[in-house]
Amino acid sequence: MNELGIVFVAELLRRLRSRIFWLATVAGVVAIAFIIEAPLFFESLAHSSSSDIVLAGPPALRAGAKPLLERKGAYRIVASVHTLPAHVTVDYLTKHGDAGAAIALSERAGRLRVDVYPRDLSAFDEVEFRSLAPLGVELGTGLAPARVERAATIEHVVHPLDAKFKDTRSATLAHAVAFTLIFMLYLAIILGSQSVMSAVAEEKTSRIAEILIATIDPVHLLYGKTLAATAIALVQIGLWIATGAALLPNAAAQLAAAGSGNASGSAAATPEASALLSVDPGLLVAFLAFFVLGYLQYAAIYAAAASLVSRTEELGSVTTPIILPVLGAFFVAQYALVTPDAPVVIVCSFVPFLSPFVAFTRLAITEVPVWQVVLEIAVNVVTVVSCFWAAGKIYRVGMLLYGKLPSPRQVFAALRS
Amino acid sequence: MLVVDRVSRSFGSVAAVRDVSFRVEPGSVFGLLGPNGAGKTTTMRMILGIYVPDGGSIRWKDRAIDLRVRRAFGYLPEERGLYGKMSVRDQIAYLGRLHGLEPEVARDRAAQWMDVLGIAAYAKRACSELSKGNQQKVQLASAVLHEPELLVLDEPFSGLDPENAQVVLDCIRRLAQGGTALILSSHQMFQIEDACTAFCIVGDGLVRAGGTLAELRATFPTRIVRVVPDSAPIRAAFLAFGAGEPRAAAPGGLAYELPATTDFAALLRAAVAAGPVESFERHEPTLGQIYARALGGAA
Repeated sequence: MNELGIVFVAELLRRLRSRIFWLATVAGVVAIAFIIEAPLFFESLAHSSSSDIVLAGPPALRAGAKPLLERKGAYRIVASVHTLPAHVTVDYLTKHGDAGAAIALSERAGRLRVDVYPRDLSAFDEVEFRSLAPLGVELGTGLAPARVERAATIEHVVHPLDAKFKDTRSATLAHAVAFTLIFMLYLAIILGSQSVMSAVAEEKTSRIAEILIATIDPVHLLYGKTLAATAIALVQIGLWIATGAALLPNAAAQLAAAGSGNASGSAAATPEASALLSVDPGLLVAFLAFFVLGYLQYAAIYAAAASLVSRTEELGSVTTPIILPVLGAFFVAQYALVTPDAPVVIVCSFVPFLSPFVAFTRLAITEVPVWQVVLEIAVNVVTVVSCFWAAGKIYRVGMLLYGKLPSPRQVFAALRS
Repeated sequence: MLVVDRVSRSFGSVAAVRDVSFRVEPGSVFGLLGPNGAGKTTTMRMILGIYVPDGGSIRWKDRAIDLRVRRAFGYLPEERGLYGKMSVRDQIAYLGRLHGLEPEVARDRAAQWMDVLGIAAYAKRACSELSKGNQQKVQLASAVLHEPELLVLDEPFSGLDPENAQVVLDCIRRLAQGGTALILSSHQMFQIEDACTAFCIVGDGLVRAGGTLAELRATFPTRIVRVVPDSAPIRAAFLAFGAGEPRAAAPGGLAYELPATTDFAALLRAAVAAGPVESFERHEPTLGQIYARALGGAA
């Protein structure tokens, strides 16, 4: 094994054995599990307190309202009574199926009246009463609710202008997937780069750097550390994606079942779940490619910057200026999510350091011409090579510099050496 | 053989090393001496390829110093450095691996050197948990694990107690006997005088003196003669041979500084002729005296 491989393996093992790596990884897994499971948890809480209702009123009104209220799982009628007591109390709701509200229907002068007694005002969605509109129209006009509904239903067809998505739902999901992945990239770069910087600063402050540089090419040392950090970041991302993939089907199925009132619903039963679980493998490959290219660019620059400090306490002074491009790239990517084909976004997809974020976002949500994809990858490869070249120059000099931070002129001189 | 030929290196406007030349033979121990800021560490770093000389050349076995050549070198820098959280055994083996050793060989030799240096009990301990002296032993083991052809030791005795300094000294001798060329710097003259076969004294980046101890002594312009007793006739005899003002030398004698070219046998005869002589000792200059004179200071 050559020295680059030895450094790579040693760095990989050091990081895998470090508590910080496992803490960050487990924290990420827990966060992803929470994000996936939390809606389910809150949904279960919300269902028992606000969606379950006691329905009161004349039998004919109740019979007409029941299918309208229960449609799409908006409400579940846990008790049906002719009249409500004069004073509806929380205790009454509790005794009647732990309902979230009592709803009394009545007719006055040919108009439908709905009296609502919610347990929690903030959790009660009045908008859902619009579903009773056909019943109100029937009372006023005599038209059957089915005819009213049919007449009120507007037939609409969305015609996508490109072949990327076949409907608005899959486009919306693609945006969600794109956002999630670029957020992962952002998080991995922020966390991972800090880790690279700390490792370099530790070698310098512990003075072992001089032994290493006397033994092997400093550039190989830099490459080994950066590649190991990238591999570790990939392991982390892989674990996080695996966590999502393991939990998502069950969560999607349960949410779908809860939404449709079908306790045995499956993930495939909802288009959302199907779309989430069938992310285009090509998109994942593109994500990994841009992830690796982006991570390498930033990690190399961060390692070089860390080589300029004499003490780990000084890391903050070099971190701030170089963290800005990551923030900028992340924000431009947010803009790209909304207007992926805006000229400024297209230009940004070719700009070093912004490109990994913006180019991937565009790939995820719009049709990108092949020549642009090729150019984006070429720009990123050239950027990685340039970053490693510059980082190697700075690292070689920086690792032996002690005292105050070098001036920009000294850094430039190192680049020219 | 290492040949350092008129190498120079500047940092901005500061000339750290100017036209420094010396040679180091395999199996020899070469002492690089000089005060702080004299250019010793810069010279060592140029030998190791850490710095590129601005001028001159450095060759090992008639080859320029490149990465492959450097792998055959070992280095113990003045500023000690270890991975604090890495275990002693892993640390030594890792640095051995970087010098091209196979994993099994690196582990076996790490065990051997830990035994030699008396740190085997700490094999699994994190380096940061060790005392300063033991950390230095870990570094020494790391520097010699790959059986270097050239070993550069910058202040190897710094911070060591006499017992541990002796362990390092024994190690240096053992390596030299095995054919390793060694370069070491130290401020502790008594240790380096015994250990080294040749020296180079540098000051302000320039070579001020160089050669074996015998050669350095040969160029030293004076010798000290201690004579007992102190008597007027004997003083007169010494003054006749060009001696300077004597200094008191216990017990009851005087120390005279005379030109190195003095005919000491004739001087002894003259002193004996002048009166009874109890003791007549000619002293060769010490390395400390040679060092001080080379740098223009007092011995």
